[in-house]
Amino acid sequence: MLPDSAITPEEHYLRRREFLRVFGLGVAASAFLPLSIRAAETGPNHSLNSAYKLDGVKLTPEEFVTSYNNFYEWGFGKDQPKEEANHGWRTQPWNIEIGGLCANASKIDPEQLKQLLGPIEQRNYRHRCVEAWSMVIPWDGFALKKLIDLAQPTSGARFVKFISFLDPANCPAQRKNELPWPYTEALTLAEASNELAFLATGLYGKPLRNQNGAPIRLVVPWKYGFKSAKSLVKIEFVAEQPTTTWNEMAPSEYGFYANVNPNVDHPRWSQKSERVIGAGFFSGKQPTLMFNGYEKQVAHLYAGMDLRKNF
Amino acid sequence: MLARIVGSRLAALSLIVGVGVWVLVIPAFAGTLGANPLEALLHRSGEIAIWTLGAVLSLTPLRVLFPHSQIIGALNRHRRAIGVSACVYGLLHFAAHILYEGGWDGLLLSLSKPFIWYGLAGLSILVALTATSNQFSIRKLGGRNWKRLHRLAYIAAALLIYHQAIAGKGHWHIARWLLFPLAALQVARVTKTLLRKPARISASNQNVRYVAKKTITTIVSADTSMTAMNNTPQGSRVNAC
Repeated sequence: MLPDSAITPEEHYLRRREFLRVFGLGVAASAFLPLSIRAAETGPNHSLNSAYKLDGVKLTPEEFVTSYNNFYEWGFGKDQPKEEANHGWRTQPWNIEIGGLCANASKIDPEQLKQLLGPIEQRNYRHRCVEAWSMVIPWDGFALKKLIDLAQPTSGARFVKFISFLDPANCPAQRKNELPWPYTEALTLAEASNELAFLATGLYGKPLRNQNGAPIRLVVPWKYGFKSAKSLVKIEFVAEQPTTTWNEMAPSEYGFYANVNPNVDHPRWSQKSERVIGAGFFSGKQPTLMFNGYEKQVAHLYAGMDLRKNF
Repeated sequence: MLARIVGSRLAALSLIVGVGVWVLVIPAFAGTLGANPLEALLHRSGEIAIWTLGAVLSLTPLRVLFPHSQIIGALNRHRRAIGVSACVYGLLHFAAHILYEGGWDGLLLSLSKPFIWYGLAGLSILVALTATSNQFSIRKLGGRNWKRLHRLAYIAAALLIYHQAIAGKGHWHIARWLLFPLAALQVARVTKTLLRKPARISASNQNVRYVAKKTITTIVSADTSMTAMNNTPQGSRVNAC
């Protein structure tokens, strides 16, 4: 069933212990270092999952990935999160609660979760924003499936809900009611269990920056970016389809599924093509791929579904 | 003194052009527009255009409300220049849109969206008004017709403020800062004009109609006097874009 590309190359397999040793030491040592140094210490990650290498695709420069962010908790402008999320907002200590309809509920520090569910792997994922721009980002983290297996959802669980932080004291935007905070997203359990669904704790081999959703965020590469909730404090297994933030704000513009689909337009713009961040003034746009190019892995989740209706 | 500086054609043009150079040209060449530079140009040019349009539309009511203010009088000398620059920045915004969409095909795709049409309709009005912002057109159309035609600026403002409002995802920060002050100024202006002729108001319906007609005439004549100001040799130097 597994595609050939999913098999770990021998070279990587043989190096896994070395990686674990180096990485383990790194994690242990990093506890005593300030965040800025830790980023440098971790260095490039050798755990690139070859199934998600995206051959021939250019990675978006790190500078752009960390300076062009839709993170409305820190302002509506894309350059604002980099500025506003780094005015003393602390993402350590941090706890993420795993609960709801599951046998193994817990509240855990993302660092511990990394050790529990590791090793950390790197995946290069396409990122397609609903606003018709795109990036390619090397994330570090682990498959969401690993967390689901750890939590053991009970038979009644049909959806997984992701809740971002709520900290009005330190986050001025959350003192206004322009969006219903905390930011909430959800996937069906089948979607969440798909091999592609990912929990990221870093990018470009460094810990996640605050503006990218530190310390832990969801990454669902076949869906528009807003589904990938940032700075998670809770993952909850539920029976009914939860209310999700953008769907609640503008149901005609942002569907619950929000699968990348060039055939279903946003009411205000076409989704047929996308502007590649970092491509320059005269690059034009590139065609958007069905399910953001991940059709093979996820199309079966929506078999028989009218994707125009369930957009 | 201040009124003289404000009234200076050179100062006005420097400011109008300077904003574009400072916010669009220098950052574009310095590479400081961020990760999505075309989007930055698109948004910035649109914002300059709509603020400029807001500025020019506030001038007439301000003059009616503060007829003795020298500064407002001086500012009113630049109505044409400011109005034309709103159009120029609007056209730059449209050019950025074409470039952002990647050319003809992208542009055609974008035209399927009402959102784009509000912008395009507003801009078309501004282009028409700019094309007739010269002495020749005023003479040709006659003051009254010209005035009527240029009232379309309010329609353009409504279309473009709406275009701006729905451009934001779930917020209309800029739009409301434009809409509410402009609406308030217009209400104040009309109220003042109505109160200026209290003797004429009586219970008779016919009289009310007469007063209403008179009010419109007053507004028209106030506007026409503004036009007359633009007719001064100094005012006519700036022509259509």
